[in-house]
Amino acid sequence: MREDLLDPRAILLHESAADRTEAIRRCGQALVDVGAVAEPYVEAMLERERTISTYVGEGVAIPHGTAAAKEIVKHDAICVVRFPEGVDWDGERVTLCVGIAARNDGHVPLLAALADILLDPERARTLREATEVHQVIKELT
Amino acid sequence: MAELARRTVTVASASGLHARPAKLFVQEAVRLGVPVRIRAGERTVPANSMLGVLSLGAVQGTEVTLESDAAGAEEALDALAALLSRDLDAEEALDV
Repeated sequence: MREDLLDPRAILLHESAADRTEAIRRCGQALVDVGAVAEPYVEAMLERERTISTYVGEGVAIPHGTAAAKEIVKHDAICVVRFPEGVDWDGERVTLCVGIAARNDGHVPLLAALADILLDPERARTLREATEVHQVIKELT
Repeated sequence: MAELARRTVTVASASGLHARPAKLFVQEAVRLGVPVRIRAGERTVPANSMLGVLSLGAVQGTEVTLESDAAGAEEALDALAALLSRDLDAEEALDV
């Protein structure tokens, strides 16, 4: 796993959002803040979500931009944003978003690792309930 | 029990088998309702599991094998193999 994908500053564990759109904007902003993407990427994330839900299961969604928005990705990165109170995600309840900015395949091993964690209910719970940045880094990297 | 049907196909989507292409693949597997397994390398997972499919870490060019011994396997595998061998990302531009 490439450790430079996950900047500790992009791990936000005590966020709240009224709805899915607000949650995605929060994730997008986290990616903007670490310099991974330009502002318009946030709109591309919302556009992607309108075409297909990025919910993957176990209370986790993986918002990301459209293929067309790859050009405004400055470097591959992910963010981990936790919404302890949950966000309604088209009928599913999401408490953890893993936002993705990717120009190529650099983030795929990380996504696979994330999926692997989520397939184990115990580890999925640990990740969803993480309150410390180092816990998240330990689980994902 | 029917014979084991199998298709080996190379993932064509530019973004690999995750994100949107994975979702479309899993949705199709669910819609078909035929139990199918998908294998990449050492790992085999149910085709109707989003997390399972994501855990394969398949990128563009990864060779995957679809398997099923259920009734209707041949048709289901044909449909799923056809989906994998298309670049679903390139088609997105036309989706609008």
